[in-house]
Amino acid sequence: MKKTVSASPHITKRHNSTRRVMIDVLIALTPCFIAATVFYGYHVVINFVVCLAFCFGTELLYGLIAGKKFDKESVKKSSVWDMSFAVTAMILTLNLPAVMPVKMWGLNATNSDGAIVFSFDTVVLCALGSIFAIALVKMLFGGIGKNFANPACTGRVFLFIAFGTAGAFNVTSSLWAGDMAATGATWLGTKTNVSGSMLLDMFLGNTATAAVGETCVIAILVGYVYLSVRRVIDFRVPLITVGSLAVFIFLFDTVRTTSGANMFYSFAAHIKSRGVLFGSVFMATDYATSPNAFVGNVVYAVGIGLITALIRAFGSFPEGFSFALLIMNRVVPLLDKYIVPKPFGYVKPVKQKNKIKRAEKDGEASGKKEGGGATV
Amino acid sequence: MGRNLKKPTFKRGVHPPHNKFSSESALEECPTPDVVYIPLCQHIGKPAVLCVSAGDEVKAGTLIGRAEGLGADVFSSVSGVVKAVVRAKTPTGAVCDHVVIENDGKYECETLPALEDFSRQSVLSRIREAGLVGMGGAGFPSHIKYSPQKHIDAFIVNAAECEPYITCDYRLLIEKTHEVLDGAALLAEALGLDCFYVGIEDNKRHAVDIIERTAAESGLKVKVTVLKSKYPQGAEKQLIYAVTGRRVPNGGLPADVGVVVGNVHTAYAVHDAVRNGTPLYRRALTVCGSGIVHNKNLWVRTGVKYSDVEKYCGGATDDCVKTISGGPMMGFALDGTDYSVTKTTGALLFLGRAEANTLQPSPCINCAKCASVCPMNLMPMYIDAYAQRGDYASAAKYGAKSCIECGCCAYSCPAKRPLVQSVRLAKRIIKEKGL
Repeated sequence: MKKTVSASPHITKRHNSTRRVMIDVLIALTPCFIAATVFYGYHVVINFVVCLAFCFGTELLYGLIAGKKFDKESVKKSSVWDMSFAVTAMILTLNLPAVMPVKMWGLNATNSDGAIVFSFDTVVLCALGSIFAIALVKMLFGGIGKNFANPACTGRVFLFIAFGTAGAFNVTSSLWAGDMAATGATWLGTKTNVSGSMLLDMFLGNTATAAVGETCVIAILVGYVYLSVRRVIDFRVPLITVGSLAVFIFLFDTVRTTSGANMFYSFAAHIKSRGVLFGSVFMATDYATSPNAFVGNVVYAVGIGLITALIRAFGSFPEGFSFALLIMNRVVPLLDKYIVPKPFGYVKPVKQKNKIKRAEKDGEASGKKEGGGATV
Repeated sequence: MGRNLKKPTFKRGVHPPHNKFSSESALEECPTPDVVYIPLCQHIGKPAVLCVSAGDEVKAGTLIGRAEGLGADVFSSVSGVVKAVVRAKTPTGAVCDHVVIENDGKYECETLPALEDFSRQSVLSRIREAGLVGMGGAGFPSHIKYSPQKHIDAFIVNAAECEPYITCDYRLLIEKTHEVLDGAALLAEALGLDCFYVGIEDNKRHAVDIIERTAAESGLKVKVTVLKSKYPQGAEKQLIYAVTGRRVPNGGLPADVGVVVGNVHTAYAVHDAVRNGTPLYRRALTVCGSGIVHNKNLWVRTGVKYSDVEKYCGGATDDCVKTISGGPMMGFALDGTDYSVTKTTGALLFLGRAEANTLQPSPCINCAKCASVCPMNLMPMYIDAYAQRGDYASAAKYGAKSCIECGCCAYSCPAKRPLVQSVRLAKRIIKEKGL
C-alpha cells in the first residue's frame, strides 16, 4: 500500500472545505430567497436561474481561457466546483429588484392588466451583472479569495449606476401590497412618519424594496443564526455593523428630523430598511473582503455603519449600504497591514531612544564608558 | 459543577477527536528482534561519539555513544555483540550512525552504581550519566534543562497528552503512578523546590484520581491542575499559561518566568535512573490508528525497528494510508517502517483513509480560521502567502519565528493549505539569513 508523506498535521477537520463553507452560506441564504419569492413572485426565481447560469459559465470559461486548455480534465479541475459562484449568484439576485424594465428597450411581455409577466430586460441585466461580478471583480484579480471587493455588491452597484436612470431600479412592490407598497417608494425615499403596522410589515417583509433579498427580517435573522452556529461568520461583526449604524443614524438623522414618539419608530425603520441587515450578515462578512483580525473587523464594521449613515443623512442617494461596503472593502488591505495582533507573550521592544538613555544612566552609575549597556 | 465550567486553559486552539483507542490496553513488553539498530542521535544537539567497535560484547545499559557538547549519552538496549556501524535515516529525516547489535536474548543488564545521596548535585549528574532527554518528542538533553541559570519557583509535569491517539503517558500515570511521582519529586528537588504541579487534561479523570490518591499516600506535595481538553494544551507555553497564568516572553524560555516543564515519561526515567541505576534504553510507545490490527501500548527497547513493532501489533491493514512517527498533529509521516525506535518516539500511528489528511490544497479564501485558532495569536495565512512568494522578511514580520508548529491552523483550514510546512520553511530561511 502506497503511503502519503506530507508535513504535519496529518489529520484535518472533518466536513470542512471551501465548498462546505459555500454551501453553508447558500443554506443560510435560502430563507431570504424563499421570502423574496413569496413577496415578489416568480421573477426572483427566473433572476436566480439566469444569474446562476451566467456566473457558472463566466467562471468556467474564464478559467479555461486563462489556462488555454479546453479538455475534460481542465473542466474537472476548474475552480467553479467550489460553489462560490452560486453564492455570488444568489447574493446578486437578492440584491436586485424583481423586475428591471429598461425604458429604451422595453422588451417585456405584459398581460391584459399591464403587469409585467416576463421581462427580457431583467434577464439581460442579470446576465450583465453576473458577468461583471465574476469576470471583472473576481476572476481578473485571481479568483476566490483574491477579489478586491464583494463581487455581488459590485455587480449590483454597476447595474444601479449604469441603468438606474433608465428606470431599472424602480422599487418592487410586495404582491400583498400594504399602504406603503402602493406608494411605489421605499421608506428611505419618502421618510414618511412611521406607524406601528408599517414596522410590522417591514419586519415580515411585506413592503416595497429595491432589493428583494433584504425584505424579510425574520429570514435574515434565521440565516444569521445559522451562519453563527456553524461558525462560518464571526457573530460579532454583523452586530457591530448594525449597532454602529444605529448610533450614527440616531445622531445624524433621527435627532435632526423627528421628535417624540416618532423618534423610536423612525429609528427602528432605519435599521430595518434596505440592505443594512442583509448586507451586514451576508456581505460585510465576506471572507476575502473583510479584515482578518478581529480588531480590524471592528474598525471595518464601524466604518460601514458610519458611511452608510452619512450617505443616508446627507447624501444624494436614499440608500448607501452598498457604497459604504465597497468603500470599506478598499480600506481592508490597509487595515490588514496595520492591525496585526500581537503574538502570545509579546514583549514591547524597548525604544532606541530610551535604550540609549538608560544605557547612559547605567554607564554613569557604574562609572563605565557610555554605550556599554546598549545591547539587549 | 461550577468548577468544571471554568477549567484553566489557554486561548484559542482546536478540538480534534481524541481517538485514544489504546487507552485501556495495559503496557506490555514488545519482543526484541535478533538485531537492533541504535541511532547515535536520539536528541537535539550533536550526535553522540561512538565508543564501541565491531566485535565488542555489550550488555543492556552499556555506554555505546558518549555525549559531546550539547547532547546525551546513548546506551545499548540489549546484551550481545556489536556487529557494525551503519548510516541510516532517523524518523525525523536526518541521517546518522546506527550501531548494529546482535541480540543474544539474555538481556543481561549493566546498571550505574547506586547513588549514595539524593542531593541536587548527585541527582543532576545521574540524569546526565543515564543519558536522559525530554521524552515528549523534542529530546532536549535533561541535565541542561534541569540546571537552569535563573531562579525557578514552579515545576510542572506535563501530563496533558493533548495529541490525539497517544496514550503511553496516560498508561504510565496509572500503572507506574508511584514511580512517575517519585521521579517528578526528584526533579523538583533538583530545581530546589519541595512541590510540583501536574497539568493534566480533563479527559483523563481516572489518572487524576490515582495521582491524587498516590500523592496523599506517599506524602508528596503535588498540585494536580485539571485542564480543559483542548489541543495544544500540552505545548509548553500554553501549559505554563494554563497552570500558572504566566506568559513566557516571545522568543524566551520557560525559565524566564521561573518555570520548568517536564514530561511524564522523563519523570519515570529519572526515577529509574536514580533509584535503580538504569540508563535510558527503553520507553513506552503507543501503537494506534485504524490502519493497524491491534492498538497497543508497548515497552520497546531503543533500536527496535518500527517494522518489528508493526509486526507484533498484527501488521498494517490495507486501509492504512499514512504511517506517522509521533502524534498526528506534530509527528513525522514515514515512507515505510524501516526506522528505529529512539528515546523520543512516543507513538507509531497507522492512519486509515478516513482519518488521515491526504487532500490537495486549494487557494486561500481568506477566512481567517487559522488566525482564530492560533494559540500563539499569529496570522498563518500571511506567513504562508509571503513564504510562497519568497518574501521571508515579511514572513518574519508576521512572527514566523514565534510559531510553535502545533498545526492548529492547517487542521482547521477549509482550503487544506499546508500552513505549517510554509511556516517551517520560512523559519528555516529566516534563521539562515538572520532576518
